[in-house]
Amino acid sequence: MSNKPLSLEEQLKVNDLTVRFYTYEGIVKAVEKASLKIRKGETLGIVGETGSGKSVTALTILALTPSPGRVEDGNILFRKRDSSVIDILRMNEHQLLQIRGKEISMIFQEPNAALDPVCKVGEQITEAILAHRLREMVEKSIEVIKKEKDNEYDLWTRLETWTYKEMLNNPSDVRLKIIQKIPIIRDITKRRLRQVIRQEIVELLKLMEIPDPGRVIDAYPHELSGGMQQRIVIAIALACSPLLLIADEPTTNLDVTVQAQILDLINRLKEKFGSSIIYITHDMGVVAEISDRVAVMYAGSVVEVAPVKELFRNPLHPYTKGLLESIPRPGSPLKSIPGTVPNLVDPPSGCRFHPRCAYMMNKCKEIMPRLVKVSEDHYVACLLYEGESDD
Amino acid sequence: MIRWIKIEESPRLKETKFILNRIRENPLSLVGLAIVISFAVIAIFAHILAPPPPGRDPYIIPRAGYFPEPQPPSPEHAFGTTQGQYDLYYGIIWGTRAAYRIGVLVVAMSAFIGIAVGSLAGYYKGVIDEVLMRLTDIILAFPSLILAMALVVAFGPGLDSITLALILVGWPGYARLVRGEFLRISAEDFVEAAKTIGCSNLRIIIRHILPNAIFPLLVYASLDIGSIILVAAALSFLGLGPPEGYADWGQLISLSRNWITGTAANPFAYWHVYTIPGVFLFLFVMGWNLLGDALRDVLDPMLRRR
Repeated sequence: MSNKPLSLEEQLKVNDLTVRFYTYEGIVKAVEKASLKIRKGETLGIVGETGSGKSVTALTILALTPSPGRVEDGNILFRKRDSSVIDILRMNEHQLLQIRGKEISMIFQEPNAALDPVCKVGEQITEAILAHRLREMVEKSIEVIKKEKDNEYDLWTRLETWTYKEMLNNPSDVRLKIIQKIPIIRDITKRRLRQVIRQEIVELLKLMEIPDPGRVIDAYPHELSGGMQQRIVIAIALACSPLLLIADEPTTNLDVTVQAQILDLINRLKEKFGSSIIYITHDMGVVAEISDRVAVMYAGSVVEVAPVKELFRNPLHPYTKGLLESIPRPGSPLKSIPGTVPNLVDPPSGCRFHPRCAYMMNKCKEIMPRLVKVSEDHYVACLLYEGESDD
Repeated sequence: MIRWIKIEESPRLKETKFILNRIRENPLSLVGLAIVISFAVIAIFAHILAPPPPGRDPYIIPRAGYFPEPQPPSPEHAFGTTQGQYDLYYGIIWGTRAAYRIGVLVVAMSAFIGIAVGSLAGYYKGVIDEVLMRLTDIILAFPSLILAMALVVAFGPGLDSITLALILVGWPGYARLVRGEFLRISAEDFVEAAKTIGCSNLRIIIRHILPNAIFPLLVYASLDIGSIILVAAALSFLGLGPPEGYADWGQLISLSRNWITGTAANPFAYWHVYTIPGVFLFLFVMGWNLLGDALRDVLDPMLRRR
């Protein structure tokens, strides 16, 4: 499925992505020819063990491949808001700043660490809003001033209006820049703007089901509980209603009850914002709860992609079968997949799963299987199913 | 009907109160603060405490004649006079101002250079880090006092040369500290999170990493002011300071060099010439050190909320 153009209903398509880390021990082949696609408004769950390349793939979608990783091959096609299609891996840094946060944003695993400890919650959300929605906010502030007719002749208000108009029409004006540098005047001339943004944040926090948003805005992250912090992180990610939200194990470090609340919240927000979601996790229960389709990753490759019900009912890849069998069930002994995740410096030849596979054939050692279509929307990369379809 | 309105304290006010409270709880830090503030008062009101003779550089100590032997404290000269009849009281008062000028200027400038170098190195890593850090290593490889002396000799003796030399010798410490903090903090998730919402590198450095890295820097800076004054005094004592008669503590001590042993009859005949400037220098450095310790107690997030 390499280099296929993006069809209209698709939001993002990762084609044959290959990421390698050049380390002292050798070249870590972290992601090898991984392919994914996400439709508009869909939640794609990515499951896999630690080190299967889930997070690297996710960060690479934002062109933030962790150092010393390098993208060796592949492309990531993304449909922007104006429906033009771009390849994220071929954008320059400036273009990327316009995409991150506005078109694609991300939620992290550790909410405590994802928030700046010395910045108030409100300031951090403001930052996200200012980065991409300044224009809209300034326009709103002008509206606010227009509504208050009685202080039309107030000097400060006139200066404020002038500032906003200048910010919209001529942001590189020297006079504007000078005013923005003088501490007290700077604050006075942005009074309405700050109120508007604050109002916007309160609305956003209400959507996150945060009680008493007025207090939370002025709190520092350490004053909030883990679940609250994760809601803030989600609020920051959704501040500009991105088209695609990448959630990297956002509930792994939370209590089970809080986890359920957050999953519920994400599901409802998806309806509201209409974003597509990539949900990365290693918890099969969470996957079943949240995703429309599931991609299973093993040792840097996508081994199976299927709608969630189909995957749980009819897993095809031996690894997926093993994963599903290793979900603990009361009353029966805990099963596990024999062996360990291979060292990615020197991965097994052919199919990377073959040393652990119960159905291993001789050709598995030589041929790396491609994703093939076995039924409607169900793809698997295993030689057992090669030839069943000619996709 | 009376309605009780509960006024919420703003968090900034609360924070300030907390810091003041912590300082109040620790008597030593209070002492440090008191010393630093009294010296600041002396420096600010030097014009009133020791009015300079009109029409002359106020930093030049007025002298009462040219007699070499120091005179003990008397009503005209509260702290006595030094060798060459320089008024010790006047020298101490205006020397405070000179000390503040050197200390604050050197620390501010070296912190500024250190922050710039350290943050670039720690944030961008790679080649930039390598080049900048090897540069700081070169400077750190020299014994700092010797390097400062060499620089002062090269620039020509004087207080400005001492200031410049101390800045050039002092910034690597800050650069190292800032770089370390940047390396640590830039690996944190919130930096990555800031990137994912589209923050530019400059914004991340200034808004997110620097405020998190600033507290160790404040502690280091306040401890550094004390030692910078000591080094400046040492350079001045060694004859690399301003011309004779300039109000500078190092110089006042240097003027007492020949009189430490006193006379045969009374070994402490000239006690005031070395004791008084020495005590002031000691108090000044100790005040800053105590204050630095107090700042560390207050600002260290690990120690504070106990």
